[in-house]
Amino acid sequence: MSVLLTLPIAVWSFLMFAHFWEPNRAGQIAIVMTAVFMIAMFYMMMRTRTTYRWRRWFFVAMGLLFPVGFIHTVIAMRGTMGIPIEEMIAGRTPFCFLPIPLLILPAALTKTVVFPGSILPGTGMAGAGMAAMAGMWLAMTIVVGKGWCSYLCFFGGIEEGMASVAKRAKLKKIDTRWRYGPWAVLLAMVLLSLALFDSVYCMWLCPFKAVSEYVAARNTLGMVQNGIFIMLFASLVIVLPFLTKKRTQCAFFCPFGAFQSIFNKTSVFDVKIDKTRCSPCVLCKTACPTMSLTDESIAQGETLMSCMKCGACVDVCPKDAAVWHIKGTDVASNPERARLLLLYGAWGMAIMFGGTIIAGGLATILHVFIK
Amino acid sequence: MRHRQGELKNVRLPPVTGYSIFGEALALGLASGPACMASCGPVVVPSLLAEQEGMRLNTRYLSSFLGARFVGYLLFAAVAWGLGALVSFPPALRLPVAGVVHLLLGCVLLWYAYTVGRACALSCAAPELVTIGVAKKRGVPGAAVLGFLTGFSICPPFVAAGLRAAQLGSIAAALYFFAVFFVGTSVWFLPFLSLGCVRRNEGVTTVARMAMVLIAVYYLYLGLAMLIGRKVYGY
Amino acid sequence: MTVRAKFGYTAAGMTVCVALLVPFVLMGAFTKGIAGLGLHVDEMYSGGPKVRTIQAAGYTIDIHRPVYPHLLQLEKPFVQLDWKPVSALPSHVSDVVDVDGDGQPDIRVSFDVPKDAKAALRVNVEALNPRYEAMQNVGKEKFSRLIVRGDDAILVRIPLARR
Repeated sequence: MSVLLTLPIAVWSFLMFAHFWEPNRAGQIAIVMTAVFMIAMFYMMMRTRTTYRWRRWFFVAMGLLFPVGFIHTVIAMRGTMGIPIEEMIAGRTPFCFLPIPLLILPAALTKTVVFPGSILPGTGMAGAGMAAMAGMWLAMTIVVGKGWCSYLCFFGGIEEGMASVAKRAKLKKIDTRWRYGPWAVLLAMVLLSLALFDSVYCMWLCPFKAVSEYVAARNTLGMVQNGIFIMLFASLVIVLPFLTKKRTQCAFFCPFGAFQSIFNKTSVFDVKIDKTRCSPCVLCKTACPTMSLTDESIAQGETLMSCMKCGACVDVCPKDAAVWHIKGTDVASNPERARLLLLYGAWGMAIMFGGTIIAGGLATILHVFIK
Repeated sequence: MRHRQGELKNVRLPPVTGYSIFGEALALGLASGPACMASCGPVVVPSLLAEQEGMRLNTRYLSSFLGARFVGYLLFAAVAWGLGALVSFPPALRLPVAGVVHLLLGCVLLWYAYTVGRACALSCAAPELVTIGVAKKRGVPGAAVLGFLTGFSICPPFVAAGLRAAQLGSIAAALYFFAVFFVGTSVWFLPFLSLGCVRRNEGVTTVARMAMVLIAVYYLYLGLAMLIGRKVYGY
Repeated sequence: MTVRAKFGYTAAGMTVCVALLVPFVLMGAFTKGIAGLGLHVDEMYSGGPKVRTIQAAGYTIDIHRPVYPHLLQLEKPFVQLDWKPVSALPSHVSDVVDVDGDGQPDIRVSFDVPKDAKAALRVNVEALNPRYEAMQNVGKEKFSRLIVRGDDAILVRIPLARR
């Protein structure tokens, strides 16, 4: 049965990776390895009837291999991770999805995109114009909603990996009010970006500049900015996830995550707690990497808006009370069917997007050994 | 060519009447309003969200804010007129004034965030506006302080209004122009009243406080950068 | 099964269909839609649209429309000039430019064009019209005040003097 259920994913993988087939040997090997990996992970999800562990393997791989491929590309193109000002003027700053919520208001009010990239497809760095990236984001968000943070974010895997290193959390007491951090950052960044006509988050607060690219420092201000990125990355992405076993950057800081939470209201999938089966042992609350379960929400039988559908709570529940759910249906009416439908969509997107990232990173490494 | 206030050479001005001043000033204010709304947004939105729920209280907040902003506007215009600086504010003064205003805004926002936190620790049910001061009875509404500081702003709409006001020949006419201009810009603040309908709970108040801190830190940086300008940014 | 449940399963099934359509139809459609919104990159980055071209000896100077910063942007207003093509430029460029097209010279721009494309550029600008700011040995300081090598062009941005 698991093989049958995995078959559509295998066909999809073949279609996707054939589309991105590389002419060189290292690229071909990387693509085959990635395809086998993605199919294997999905098969294990079907076989073990669990989600979180296998999804995490994929997610961490994507998080680790994205910087490898990306940094290699930027260094090959311009010789440095720092973006020189002439590249910004030429509209070749790589565009990622993180500033999307900040750009909406200035664009809506003045038709101005306050980001030094290029808009049209085929322009910008490596042809990834902003319209293409935004179009991809919109299409994928319709499918996965906040599941973006579990299946598509190419930065989140780093901290998810760090959060799974230690067996036990060394820092257990976390003030629950920190959960509001992403919303505060989103509100502040949206307001400041509109007032200053600048992508303020990218210029000041993005921790992932440390593993992708950043504005080349031309003066003291640039050095301060780069110092902030490194400090935020070290604390929120490396140290705190290791100490707390939580995805601290995602749970307490990321404004894009807060923005994607809005789409949890429109998503057809969610996670519910079957109150007839719940003890409550609150293992789900401890397992949740983003603190999206509280005693109150468990009592109400649901997760908070920040749930990223990672599956940790579902897999850890000893009573099968935490279940996958399709809105409109009865809780626990057929959670496995709900999980399957979610996974076909989400994993399909993961193969298309994350799979190419993993293959790209692998190819970069393999190029060193295989000519 | 420097133009002195009230004297313009080789420029034909339309006949000035009370109605024409009113019309011009209102039109300029309405046209500039979106820019005012965008620049005041970082100050108004989180501080308004930190206040208690309810249209009445939020209307009081906005009235305090706009009233104090109005006073700040007129005071600034009167001082600039007195210095002969409405047409062209001296560059040497522009940055330090803007820098000090931003530093003060940052400090007030930080104090606001702290005061809201304390108020909620004691009793979130108090229907009063957040005040800044040692004792509640002697405190100044925080909204008024923020409004007054945002009124001291040499933004392009203010410069445009100043340019026209300087041509009117008397300080009374200039202040009248500024007052009507201010009314025009204030219309754009009415949508902020809708924040009164947002349900206030621990989440909203905490988000508002955290956002205020972030914005305050950025304003402190802006103020510092403007004051020491050249050394940090080569401004 | 209730009607709500049927709607739920239908929506869930449609999600899978939408996922299949993403790479083949949806992504392209959304991309075209966003590209068709008529958005433009902030002129502080792009330099504003070109308005005039001046013919020099074997090369051209493109003059862009002056760019004015938005309300709280920490930049000065500036005008961008492009010298192109780089291959046709002499080793030392010194041009008097009428920026606003009123027939009067506004600025004198001087810079060296090193053979090494990666060498740093420096520019001197003499302001013949007080509307423009003079620049002494300026490199790439900020968006409103710089000289850089672009795609087969040398771009110079001259700040406008504040009144």
